[in-house]
Amino acid sequence: MKNAPEKIVFTGSGLVCGSGSNVEDVWNALVSGQTSIGPYNWERGRVRAYDWNGENWPVKIASEVTEDNRTLVPDRKLHKTISRKDMLGIYASEKAIEDSGVLAHRDGLDEEVQDAYSDRTGLIVGSGGGNYQDNYDYLPLITEAKGELPGFGRELSNVVTPMWLLKNLPNNVLCHVGIRGQLKGTNACITNQCSSSVMAVAESASAIWNGEADRIVAAGHDAALEPEHILYYHKLGLMSSEVPKPFDANRSGTIFGEGAGAVVLEREGDAVARGAKVLGEFLGFGCCCEATGAMDLQPDGDGVTRAIEQALDDAELSPADVGMICAHGNGTTASDLTEGLGIHAVFGDDIPPVTGFKWAYGHLIGAAGIVDLVMTLEALKRGVVPGIPNLENVEDQIAPFPVQKEAALPRSDVALVICRGFGGMNVVLAVRGPST
Amino acid sequence: MGLIEKRRIAVTGIGLVTPVGNDAPSTWEALQAGKSGAAQITNFDASGFSTTIGAEVKDFDFENAGPCKKLLKGASRSHSFALAAAAEALEDAGIAPTDEDSHRWGLAVGAGMMSVAYDDLKVVHDYATDDDGNFQPDGLMDPDFPANPINFCRWQSNSGLSILTKAFGIRGYATSVHTACASGGQAIGSALKALRRGQCDKVLAGGFDSMLNPIGISGFCLLGALSTDNDNPTGASRPFDKTRNGFVLGEGAGFLVLEDWDAAKARGAKIYAELGGDGNSLSCYRITDSPPDGNGPIQAIEQALRDAGITANDVDYINAHGTSTQMNDRSECAAMNAIFGHRIDEVSVSSTKSSMGHLIAAAGAVEAAVCCLAIRDSIAPVNANYQNPDPVCDVNLVTGEAKSVKIRAALSNSLGFGGSNSSLVFLNPSDLNPKEVAS
Repeated sequence: MKNAPEKIVFTGSGLVCGSGSNVEDVWNALVSGQTSIGPYNWERGRVRAYDWNGENWPVKIASEVTEDNRTLVPDRKLHKTISRKDMLGIYASEKAIEDSGVLAHRDGLDEEVQDAYSDRTGLIVGSGGGNYQDNYDYLPLITEAKGELPGFGRELSNVVTPMWLLKNLPNNVLCHVGIRGQLKGTNACITNQCSSSVMAVAESASAIWNGEADRIVAAGHDAALEPEHILYYHKLGLMSSEVPKPFDANRSGTIFGEGAGAVVLEREGDAVARGAKVLGEFLGFGCCCEATGAMDLQPDGDGVTRAIEQALDDAELSPADVGMICAHGNGTTASDLTEGLGIHAVFGDDIPPVTGFKWAYGHLIGAAGIVDLVMTLEALKRGVVPGIPNLENVEDQIAPFPVQKEAALPRSDVALVICRGFGGMNVVLAVRGPST
Repeated sequence: MGLIEKRRIAVTGIGLVTPVGNDAPSTWEALQAGKSGAAQITNFDASGFSTTIGAEVKDFDFENAGPCKKLLKGASRSHSFALAAAAEALEDAGIAPTDEDSHRWGLAVGAGMMSVAYDDLKVVHDYATDDDGNFQPDGLMDPDFPANPINFCRWQSNSGLSILTKAFGIRGYATSVHTACASGGQAIGSALKALRRGQCDKVLAGGFDSMLNPIGISGFCLLGALSTDNDNPTGASRPFDKTRNGFVLGEGAGFLVLEDWDAAKARGAKIYAELGGDGNSLSCYRITDSPPDGNGPIQAIEQALRDAGITANDVDYINAHGTSTQMNDRSECAAMNAIFGHRIDEVSVSSTKSSMGHLIAAAGAVEAAVCCLAIRDSIAPVNANYQNPDPVCDVNLVTGEAKSVKIRAALSNSLGFGGSNSSLVFLNPSDLNPKEVAS
């Protein structure tokens, strides 16, 4: 990062998505062209039981996490108090913490300095916000009250659990990972729709830059697989009925997945001093908005262009230094087109290999960018850019564009991760892979 | 690390929509007088709820909130407050994004809780439940079900950010945070970092919220967090009073215009204060409670002072979180005592929630603005409704009436549900600025 007194590195990662609950499994799925998108078992994500099989629903496929929540986070008490999407976030965060060894390191320190270490350990979580089904706990109350508000108020505590608010706080992952690990430093819960999780990574680096923490766990989680949410996306014309085809001329929309990802960031000197394994380096980020409202996009990809330029400037790199791009590539008509145009505007005819992973594990909404980041670091480590196996013909308006069915070689150890979201948000992370 | 000289940041514009006033001047006047904004709830029929009182925004002109009528269609109640407060802040600062510099403008918001409106949930209920009120999704496929995309967009987690960036043409850095009651303070802290890093030159930063609706108030009623003094709405919010029994839910929005100090000076802007520092911590104690010894809030305050390059000796006023719940006020006082030690009697403390109620995600931003106004006018606003001292809340409260006091530095605390603590430090822009004195 520009003017950073020291390099900031990644020392741990964790993830869970339809393709697997560890980096190795998800990587194998990516390089073998296996998608985890398929018929969705509506039962699994359900908050309240209802007898329904979804056979009339306009969208029937998704990438779902098949592991049971109870296996992922074996804490029976916790399962009573918080929801599935939060469990995914807790799982990924704790995997990243374990992978980095930061808390194991703390616990090996002299007791008198452990508290200070906890105070300098931060946690920033990108959250999808709330689900529609969180509010369904109030539906029986509306029935009970015959649709009248005074009765709604009177019967409230007889029908709805007193813990309702605590179960549904958007910042629940922050609270629980914090309490469980005693991460007492700087923190935030970012609710910026699809950009939430990459912003968590960017703000973590910013906070270390600012000297307010020595190490930060950045996480993102979401589980948007619920009937009402999917229905609205469908009505907006954003959903496909098949596996998304990023940048393909015949792409027809996106498909949701559920999941979570997390990384641990710290200063290089600290990582080296404690003998930690380094997964890569945070080089810089760009974040900008297109000021187009919730849904619309600038037709020329201006926001993508500016976010990439900002990230390169922050990383003090030129376009030629970039070895690969992990694109947002959500498979919708407008987003992929403008993203392609935005990339062209920065790189001209000299674009490094581009890929995108939503064909494999779907669009993870609030968790999208951070899971892509974890897999991008793995791609740099292995020196392989996975292909997009269902790609047939590249969208004419952006051709030539270096996406392909087969895997490619990155042209350097630097990657950009692009994440876009509602509100005309564009966030780009610049990262370097581990030295080999 | 401290290896880089930190860019100085000026507060040059303020906009407020609160239960005690629909702009900054009227709010500030009411707060000095300790006027209460609480009354019986009129937004909806609250007669059946355990709490029937709240601090509502009154006589608000929803038709003319913000610069663009077209955007109001997609705006929730709290978004309308945000549009009005943001417009006031920009007008007050005398600047606005232009085609030339809009990419250098940022937006940082503490966004309200994303609860669905009761009316929208009622429609889902009427189309898609069985006789017991259990959800039956197929009902949503009824061709008459109003699955309106505008409604959908209104309840996205960053819909406030969408509306504000479009309304004012902000094309740079944009972030939206929701860390419960700490949201507004954290948003301003995020803006501070984006400015220091040079990612933008000017930021519109603030918060907005409105939970005074059936679903919003239900969550708090279920937890027993609200005062049930339904017969005494104006006296119900009494932070630090021994008889305090819960908070009074408020609503509103607050925005600041933040910009590079030198640029503000160069354009001859009026500068309310310098945004000196930001501190955050996580209590890691319980979801709803603060630790009685202040462990958690202490670290946030320490970090904010360190970030601002000052010490506890430089602070003359604290706008406390002071929610009027037993545990918060006790924990916060323990933290203030731990930080200020024997100086605690020299630091004026008030919680303006005694007048405005608790604005949740907007609270930190509104109270940051109050600190700036306090510095400008050398006035510490009153902690209203204080009658019965509590030995565990032994701080130097501004009681009875507002107090005239030279403020070198002011501290604004926001301590959220879930244990997130945010503290901000504002410095006097004149020669009373502790950093100027030191140099």
